[in-house]
Amino acid sequence: MVSSVARTPLNSVVVQRRSKNKSYRQSYRSCLGAASRLCFTPGLTARRLNASRRAPKSRDITEKVSPEQLALLMKTEWQLSYITPLYQFRHTQLRSYSRQLSAFIAAEKQQGLAMEVEGPQSSFRVSFSVVQGMVETDDDAETVFIQIHSKSLFDRQDEPQRSVWRGWLSCINGNPDYLRSLPKDFICLPLFGSSGAEGLTCVVKSWFQQTFDCCFGPLEISNTSLQWLLALWTHCHMESSIQHLKMNWTVPVVPPLQVTYTVNPQDAWELWSSVRKDHQEENEGGEEVKDESIVDIDEVMRFTQALKSHFYRHFRLDLSAGSLNQVSTALGSAKCSGRIKISNSKYMITTLTLLTECALLKMPI
Amino acid sequence: MDDPVKRLLQRLIRRIPSQMLKITLDKWGRLTATQQRSMDFTQPKRVLTEKLLSIYEENEWTVKHVTELEMIYIMDNPNQGMWNAYQLMDPEDDSQSVNLMQFKEQFKSHLGEIVRHVSVKMKKHTDEAVWIRIAWGDGFSRSNHLKPTYVVHQLQTPYVFVTSLTSKQKPLLSQALILATRHQNIKDANLSGLKLTAIRELLMRQYQQVFPTKYHSPLTEKTQTVLNTQTEREQAESAANRCQMACEAFGDGMLPQLQSAVYKLETKFRDPANKTMTEREEPFRCVVKFASTNLLESLRQCASSGIASTPVTPLLSSIPLKGKNYFVVTDNGPGSSQK
Repeated sequence: MVSSVARTPLNSVVVQRRSKNKSYRQSYRSCLGAASRLCFTPGLTARRLNASRRAPKSRDITEKVSPEQLALLMKTEWQLSYITPLYQFRHTQLRSYSRQLSAFIAAEKQQGLAMEVEGPQSSFRVSFSVVQGMVETDDDAETVFIQIHSKSLFDRQDEPQRSVWRGWLSCINGNPDYLRSLPKDFICLPLFGSSGAEGLTCVVKSWFQQTFDCCFGPLEISNTSLQWLLALWTHCHMESSIQHLKMNWTVPVVPPLQVTYTVNPQDAWELWSSVRKDHQEENEGGEEVKDESIVDIDEVMRFTQALKSHFYRHFRLDLSAGSLNQVSTALGSAKCSGRIKISNSKYMITTLTLLTECALLKMPI
Repeated sequence: MDDPVKRLLQRLIRRIPSQMLKITLDKWGRLTATQQRSMDFTQPKRVLTEKLLSIYEENEWTVKHVTELEMIYIMDNPNQGMWNAYQLMDPEDDSQSVNLMQFKEQFKSHLGEIVRHVSVKMKKHTDEAVWIRIAWGDGFSRSNHLKPTYVVHQLQTPYVFVTSLTSKQKPLLSQALILATRHQNIKDANLSGLKLTAIRELLMRQYQQVFPTKYHSPLTEKTQTVLNTQTEREQAESAANRCQMACEAFGDGMLPQLQSAVYKLETKFRDPANKTMTEREEPFRCVVKFASTNLLESLRQCASSGIASTPVTPLLSSIPLKGKNYFVVTDNGPGSSQK
C-alpha cells in the first residue's frame, strides 16, 4: 500500500490490512506519518527525515563490538548506496555467499569484464563476515562486512593477499514499523558502503541484484543530513574533542567559488549550547518537560543559521546562495556526493542511524 | 646515473613541456647548428632526452650551463609553484640610488658571507626586473641545485617575489636583500599565489580599475535593453548598480588570477537573535578560506549577481586594494600578522 504522507491521516498508519495469507508491505513514507506529526517540522525536506533524534552520547561501543571489527569500518572513506530489502538473505549462509561471489567475479573476468585491478593472472578471494554487536534493536539485522582479496599467480605462497575491495551492509535503528511490515523472507540492510575499484563494486552489486532480487541506488547526503551531522558532531565536543568544525560550501558563480569555513571547536560548542539553551527556554512554557537528550531539527537549523550569519556579518555574502558540500570534524567527514568517513568509533552508531534513515527514505519502495 | 649534473639536466628536460622545449633551447643557444638540426622535436620526449644527454657529454656542459637553461625556462614560464610576496620597509637615504651593478655585487657578497657553498645566479629580464636563482648549500655539502629558490625584484619598487624558500633559508635571504637594497627591514606582504604575473599585476595595480563616478557610467549601457515596465527598469537599475560597485571593488575586464584568500577571524559573535553568544567576551574564532581558479573574478560575480551584498565589504575589497590575500581580522579592524 503506497500512500503519500500528505494524504495519510494519523490513525490509518496504525491500522494495516493484513490478510491471513499475504501481508502487504507498507511504504516507508507512510510509516513516517505519525512521527512527523509529533514535532514541529518546518519545510518539506525536514518532514521527510526524523525531525528529532537522540543526542549522541559516548558509548563504549567496544563493549559490544570487537575493536578489530570496528577498525574495519573506520578511517576509510566509503561511497554510500541504498539497497532495497534482500530476499532470502541468511546470515548463516555467509560462507556459501563468499564462494558464490568469488565464482561470480571469476566468471565475469572470463567474460572480459575489466577489473581495473591487478594483472591478468590474479584470482580473487571473497570473505563475508558479520560485524557482531552493532545493532541497537531487535528489528535491525546484523551488519555484514565483505572483503575481496586479490592474489597474483606470481606471488609466493606465503605472501599475504592484498585487500582490493571492501564493503558493508548495515541497518542501525531502522524504523521499526517499516521493518516489521516486511514479509518474513525479506531482510532489510538498506545502507551499503563500498571502497575500492569501481569495476569490482559493479560486480558485487550485480551479484546481489541477481541473488537477492534487490536494487541499488546512489545515496547522496542531503543538506539537512549534513546539518544534522554538523550539530550532532559538535554536540560530542565535551566528551571527545572534535578538533575543528569544518564546512565546505560552493557558491555558484563563474568560476565556482569554494568557501571553507573552519570554526574553533570550543567556540562551535558554545554556540551550539547557546542555541540549545535558547530553544529550551522558549519551550519552557510547554506541556512536556523537554528531554535533554533529544535534539530537534529546529535547533540544528538555528545552529547553521547562526554560523551563516556570523559569516554574513563579515563578508556580506549569503551562504544560503551556495550549497553545503562537506562537513568534517575529528569524528568523521561527510560529503554530499554520498561519501562518509567515520574516524571515531564512539559516535559511529549516531552517524549510522542517520544514514540508515537516509537510505530508507531514498528507497523507491 | 652517477653524474649529478647529468641527472639535473634530465630532470629539467622532463619538466619542460614538449612544446616549450625548442624555444627554450634556442634561447639558450648552446647547441651547435648541426646539433640543432639533429633534434627532431616531433619525437617523444624520452627520445629527445636521450639525445640531449648525449649532446651533454659531447659538449661537456657544466652545472653552470644547465642552471642557465633552467633559469631561462623559469623566467619565461613563471606561473608555477607558489610565489610569496614580501615588502621592503624603512628605506635608507640612498636606497633610491642603488643601481643594478651595485645590487648584484652587494647581494652576492652578503649572501656569500652568511651562507657557505651558496650558488647565486642573477639575470635581468626584459621588463627590468632582476631574477635571482639561489642554490643553497650548508657548511658540509655543496649547493643543492635540485631545490633552488627563485627571487624576483624590480629595483626602486618595494616588492620582492620569492618561490621555494624554506623557513630556515628565509632569514638568510631577508638579510641579504635588505642589505643589498639599502632597507632596514623586510616583511611578509601576505600575498601568495601560483601565478607570479597575477600577484605582480595585483600589487602594481596593472589591471583595469574602475572608480566611482557621479554620472552615468558606461557600464549601465551594457545592460540596457528595451524596458517596458517600471519593475523592469528598477531591476535593471539595481543590476547596473551592483555591477558598477562590483567593478569598483575588483576592477573591470581581465582580473589577475589569484587562487585563494584566507581570513583568520577573531571577532566577537554578535547576533541579536542569540543573547548568550552576544554577551560573550571571548572572540568567536574561525578561519575562512575562499578558493577559485580565478578568485577575483568569482568575487566580482558574487557582487554583481547579488550573492554578496553591495557595497562590497572592505574585507573582500581589501584583496585588490591592499594587494593581500591573508588577513587577520579582530574587532579593532582588519590587519595582517607578520609571518
